[in-house]
Amino acid sequence: MKKRGRGIATIMFGFGYGEGFPDHSIASAEIEEEGKILIRTAAADVGQGILTTISQISAEVLKVKPEAIQIIPGDTHLTKNSGSSSATRQTFFTGNAVKEASEGLLSNIYHYASIEFRSNHVELGIKGGYIFRKDNPNNQLSYWELAERVKARGDNLKAESSFFPHTDKPDPETGQGEKLYVAYTFVTQIIDLEVNTDTGIVEVLKVYTAADIGKAINPKNVEGQIEGGTVQGIGMALMEEQIIKEGITLNPDLTGYLIPTSMDTPHFITRLIENEDSEGPYGAKGIGEPATIATAPAIANAIYDAIGVRIYDLPITPEKILKALKEKVKFTSEGWLGL
Amino acid sequence: MLKSYVGKNVCKVDAQDKVTGQALYPDDIYFEDMLYLKIKRATHPHAYLRRIDTGKAEKLTGVVKIITAADIPQVKNFGLIIKDQPVLVGVGQKMRYMGDALAIVIAESKEVASQAVKLIEVEVEELEVISDPLRAMEKDAPLIHQDSNVLATHYLKKGDIKKGFTQADIIAENEYRTSTLDHVPLQVEAGVGIYDKKSGVIKLWVATQWLHDTQADIAQSLGLSKEKIRIIQPVIGGAFGKKEDISVHLHLALAAMETKRPVKLTYSREESMIAQSKRHPFIIRMKTGVTNKGYLTACQVEVIGDTGAYASSGPAVVHKGMYHCTGPYNVDNVSGVAYTVYTNNTYCGAMRGFGTTQMAFAYESQMDILAHQLGINPVQFRLQNAYDIGSSTPNSQRLTHSVGVKETIKGAAVMAAWKEGSP
Repeated sequence: MKKRGRGIATIMFGFGYGEGFPDHSIASAEIEEEGKILIRTAAADVGQGILTTISQISAEVLKVKPEAIQIIPGDTHLTKNSGSSSATRQTFFTGNAVKEASEGLLSNIYHYASIEFRSNHVELGIKGGYIFRKDNPNNQLSYWELAERVKARGDNLKAESSFFPHTDKPDPETGQGEKLYVAYTFVTQIIDLEVNTDTGIVEVLKVYTAADIGKAINPKNVEGQIEGGTVQGIGMALMEEQIIKEGITLNPDLTGYLIPTSMDTPHFITRLIENEDSEGPYGAKGIGEPATIATAPAIANAIYDAIGVRIYDLPITPEKILKALKEKVKFTSEGWLGL
Repeated sequence: MLKSYVGKNVCKVDAQDKVTGQALYPDDIYFEDMLYLKIKRATHPHAYLRRIDTGKAEKLTGVVKIITAADIPQVKNFGLIIKDQPVLVGVGQKMRYMGDALAIVIAESKEVASQAVKLIEVEVEELEVISDPLRAMEKDAPLIHQDSNVLATHYLKKGDIKKGFTQADIIAENEYRTSTLDHVPLQVEAGVGIYDKKSGVIKLWVATQWLHDTQADIAQSLGLSKEKIRIIQPVIGGAFGKKEDISVHLHLALAAMETKRPVKLTYSREESMIAQSKRHPFIIRMKTGVTNKGYLTACQVEVIGDTGAYASSGPAVVHKGMYHCTGPYNVDNVSGVAYTVYTNNTYCGAMRGFGTTQMAFAYESQMDILAHQLGINPVQFRLQNAYDIGSSTPNSQRLTHSVGVKETIKGAAVMAAWKEGSP
């Protein structure tokens, strides 16, 4: 028989290394060859899309198309430390560093253009990589022309910035501290699923996710993170386990270690809560890790709702479900329930 | 002001290269005259290496060189937090899990390298294998490293836990367990290395989640300045925490220096699963108190995190999990202890959620159990306990802004049309 159930889980995640660890990110922005602006960062794009995020932020600040933003791919000898792509920190840390570096570059564009145009900053306008006097928009200079003139003055049109927020080391006896993490992301998931009581197989049907992420720099990427994280969470909840007996892994391959496939992927309904109230760029918070955390408990709770048995050890395999159902029947028939 | 690009679904900058196959992942990188590496791994999860004989393997046609610990006495241990992991286990030293490296085979082809690995003869003195962290914590358990098997103990104390349970009308106390997980990134550990004789710089094309930290760890292990280690980030095929630790880097660097030729090392999936980091399996004992009206009063937690044979990020992972033990709910009285424990299992490190993923399974199961016992709708139960601006976390961090947790609960409930009275 197939039985339906629904479960909910709400989670928090303090992101950044926190705990007083010197967590920072350095980035620079400079006018490159014709039509390009170069961003230097060591932030690793592991597929989450940080390089896209960076190009959007820099394009926003400098009022050019994202295609104009060129990013030096990570290279220890061409970039400075941007910290790791972990701890859900890159959008917040490198995003802020890139935003500030881009703002620094923009300030210098204004500064040098005001010399070229013999004007005040307020009299200058900026559009699509050009700077001009508002009273005579036809007299304009491209960023790249301006860069040439700045070079002729023996200077460079570039800016470097960093983001280095403070956190506190927790007291070793109590774990207490004023500010352990830079900020928290919150996620709630409601999951609908079906348990086959003959086979013990669970099919996850629908996943409703509401995530407090401050601001989505790229909503599609955020949804992608949530969907990918949830599928990874389904694996943790229902099937994944590296079985190590006496130090020996018994299933070191994808025949013995199952992960979800597209056939296990549920229908997603996602809402992004965007209060733009964090210290991240444009109010953004991180979503990388929080995207996976609520799934396993929401599934465990939904299974309880469906069949009235609670599993306390992951993964909740068909074998565990069938065993638990058997025991439940035994208890019920012997009248142990309701005592 | 309306924004032009922020908040817009701009196409990913790397999408075209990836879908057209132009993106160069580390294993796609090729040089003429390139050599291939294969690692001889531990033959027992916990044993002293008494003898290693590479004679037969070296005689195989196509084998260029086999490096053992005896060839690199100057090389130091590595590790993200504690430098406890050997580059190669030497004679008289201990192998602590099946992923420990005993020798680097350098050959003209992958096939020859694989064959040669099988010809390396090893003699070991077997020790008790500790696969269960509870056994590792026992007083008579053999030590896996020099000091205690309990690598780190962290504490959490907020309010008055006794008072908290006195105030409670209902208490739920349960033990939860999570499993050892692999990150299963599509791209396994792989890389290419080249040694530039003139500059003395070792160039490595290896995916890493933290370029400059990996560079520093390689440099300290080899006794070189950071400038001599140049890492160029190839396209990364997924990481999820698994590419924070050193994997192929040091073996590539040593082989490149030794042969002065380009070298490549790519793990098999099996090797990746056995040798490279895992998600910590947690044992979580949690006791949660609540009043009849459904307000949380106390949360007590004990966490045992099996970090396997080496520390990696373990000491940070396990206690971060504990620090999140209440979830996003107001609980005035909290007490916890977290043990990070060595075993002879594959070492565990960072993985998406960093300990808090395991902890959420416990605290959100507890919330569900208590909601059912109280007869309160689980949505309502969460809403009435959830953080607001001004709430304080288990670490007593006061939340001053960006606390949208209640909006996420309401938002999800509205989308799912969660009705009063439904579970």
